[in-house]
Amino acid sequence: SIDMLMSSEKEEDPDVIPEDSSLLTLRIRKKALERREETIIVDRACRQETLTYEMESHATGKRPDNPTDLIEEGELLLTLNVFYPVIFQKHKDHKPYQTVLVLGSQKLTELRDSISCVSDLQIGGEFSSQPDQAPEHISKDLYKSAFFYFEGIFYNDKRYPECRDLSRTIIEWSESHDRGYENLQSVKMEDYVFNDLSLKIGFPYLYCHQGNCEHIIIITDIRLIHHDDCLDRNLYPLLIKKHWLCTRKCFVCKMYTARWVTNRDSLAPEDPCFFCDVCFRMLHYDAEGNKLGEFLAYPYVDPGIFN
Amino acid sequence: MSAVPGLKEDCEELLGAFQQADTVRFESFAELWRERRFHTVFYGRMRALERNKLTKKTLDLAQQYFLPPYSFQIRVGALYLLYGLYNAQLCQPKQKIRIALKDWPEIQKFQQDLLDSQHYDAAYIFRRLRLARAFHFTAMPKLLTYRTKKKIEENYFKEEFKDPSNRVNSLITNDVLEELMNIHDHYQKMKCIISADKSQPDKALSLIKDDFVVNLKDITLEHQEWQQNRMKLFRNAKETDETENKKKEGTSLESEGSERANALARIKYRSYSAVVEASKSRRHRQVQLESSESGSSCGKSPSGSKKTRRRPQPARRRGEMQVAKETVTRHIGMPIITEED
Repeated sequence: SIDMLMSSEKEEDPDVIPEDSSLLTLRIRKKALERREETIIVDRACRQETLTYEMESHATGKRPDNPTDLIEEGELLLTLNVFYPVIFQKHKDHKPYQTVLVLGSQKLTELRDSISCVSDLQIGGEFSSQPDQAPEHISKDLYKSAFFYFEGIFYNDKRYPECRDLSRTIIEWSESHDRGYENLQSVKMEDYVFNDLSLKIGFPYLYCHQGNCEHIIIITDIRLIHHDDCLDRNLYPLLIKKHWLCTRKCFVCKMYTARWVTNRDSLAPEDPCFFCDVCFRMLHYDAEGNKLGEFLAYPYVDPGIFN
Repeated sequence: MSAVPGLKEDCEELLGAFQQADTVRFESFAELWRERRFHTVFYGRMRALERNKLTKKTLDLAQQYFLPPYSFQIRVGALYLLYGLYNAQLCQPKQKIRIALKDWPEIQKFQQDLLDSQHYDAAYIFRRLRLARAFHFTAMPKLLTYRTKKKIEENYFKEEFKDPSNRVNSLITNDVLEELMNIHDHYQKMKCIISADKSQPDKALSLIKDDFVVNLKDITLEHQEWQQNRMKLFRNAKETDETENKKKEGTSLESEGSERANALARIKYRSYSAVVEASKSRRHRQVQLESSESGSSCGKSPSGSKKTRRRPQPARRRGEMQVAKETVTRHIGMPIITEED
C-alpha cells in the first residue's frame, strides 16, 4: 500500500516529459532534449556507448554453474582504475584507463594476469630479412617480472624462475642516500591477497612490468558484495570499463590494422610507415620471397588491439 | 561528477515544504510528493547508460540529506525521499544507495531514535529499504571519478558563506565592545576608589587613553563601511535582500547583524529548524530552547495537524534579533556621551 502512494494513477510514458511540470529538473531537461532534437539527425547509441554500457552491465546478476564458485556474503569488492602507459597528446586532460573489479580474497597475481597491456605483446627485433619468423617470442613470455607498489611495499612476481626482483634497484637507490623514503620492503606477490593490504582510496599506486612499462593504479571504491552483483568467482577480476583507442590502419588498404612498421623504406611514402600483413608482403617481397628495396621492418602491435 | 541541473533545487524545495508541513508522517510526505509528481524526475528520453548515471547522481544527492548535521525532520524527509526515488527509478537492475561505513552507526542511532519516538512509519520505510537490499555498504561516501573538471563547482558554498572576510567584525563584535566598555568602566571606578579624590582618578594614574573604546568602535565602523561599499559594487549585479537591507538600515553594525540574520534565515535547515524540531521529537527530553515554544506536544498528535503557530516564528526570531541589535547599538552608542575625558 505504501507503493501505491508513489506510482502514478494513469499509464505514463517515461520517455515523455509532462508539459506542466513543476520540477525544475524536468524543465531544464526538456529544453536540453529539444535542443538535441534540433541538432542531432539520428539519435542512436553509437558503438562506443553500446560498448561502455555492455561492459558495465554484462556481468550483473550472473551466478556460477558450480556452487563452489559462489562468492560469499562478506566479500569485499574493490574497484581499481588501471591507467594506460600510452602517452598521446590528445590524452593530456583525461588519461585513459580501464576499470577492474577484484574481490578481496583474490591474490595479487590474479590481478596481474588480468591486466592486458600492449607492451606485453611486443616483439623485439628487426625482421626485414625473415618476415615469416617474426611472431616467435612475445615480450610477455620473455620478461616475466612485474611488481606492484602499495603503501611502501613492493610486491614482486616470483612465480617463475626467470622473474627478477625489479624493485631491488629502487630499494637500493632509496637506501643509498637519505632520501626521505623510509622502509621500502620487497615481498612476494603470490603470497598476498587484497584483504591483507592496507590501501588508500584515490591514492596512486604503481604496477610495473617489462622493466619499464609503468601503470598507475588507483582504487576508487571498496564495498561489500551485493545480491545484484556478479557472484561467479571465476569471472573476477572483471573488466568493466575500457578506453577505446583508435587503431592505426594499413597505409595501403586503410582497412586492416597495421601489423608491420617500416623505417627508412625506399618503397614507402613516409617514415615510419604502417602496413598490414598482406600489403606488407605484397609490396616488399616478390613471389619467391626475396626482399625488394632497402628497409627495416619491425612487427607492430597497435595499442588498440584490445578493443 | 557534474551535478544534475535543477535537481538540488527540486529536492530542497520538497524538503522545505515537508519541513513547513511540520510533521514526520509519511502521508504528508506522500501528499507533497504526489503534488509535485516527483516520480517524473527520471523521465525524459534517455538511453540506459545515461539513465544509470543520472539515477546514481540523484540517489547520491538525496543521500546527503539523510546524514547529520541536518535536522531530524529533514533527515526523515530525506529517508522518505530516498525511498521514493529508489522505487520510482527506471533503471533495471535498480541503482543502489551508497552509505559509507563511518555513517552507518549514526544511521542506526537514527533508526533507534525513530523507534523510541514511535515514528513507526519512518522505521517501517527504513526496514523496507533494507529488505529490498537498496544499500551498498561502501568505504567512502563518494565514488571517485577522474576527469579534470573544466570549471570547479563552487556554487554550493557561495550562498551559505556569503561574508567571508568579515574577520574584523567577528573579532570586534558587539559583545567584545560591550565587555571592553564594562571593563573600562570598572577600571575608571577602581582608579577613583584608590585615589584621593573620590570623584576623579589621580592624574598620575592616567596611563591609557580614556576614549580608546570609542576609537576602536569608530575604526571598526569605518572598516565595515569600506567593506560594504566594496561588496555593494561587487553585488550590484545581483539583487539580493542583503543590499536592500543594507540600504534600509543606517548603522552598519545593525546591517551587519541583519546580514547575519539573513544568512541564518537562509540556512534554514541547519539553524533554527534544529531548535524547532528537537522540541517536537524529543518532547520527553528537557531541551532548553530559547526561541521556540516549550511544552508543545506533537509526538502523538494525529498526523496532518499543522502547527501554524510555528510559522510566524521565523519572523519573530528575526524581530528578536533586530530588537537585540537595537539595544546593543544603543548601548554602544552610549560611550560617546558618558566617557570621561
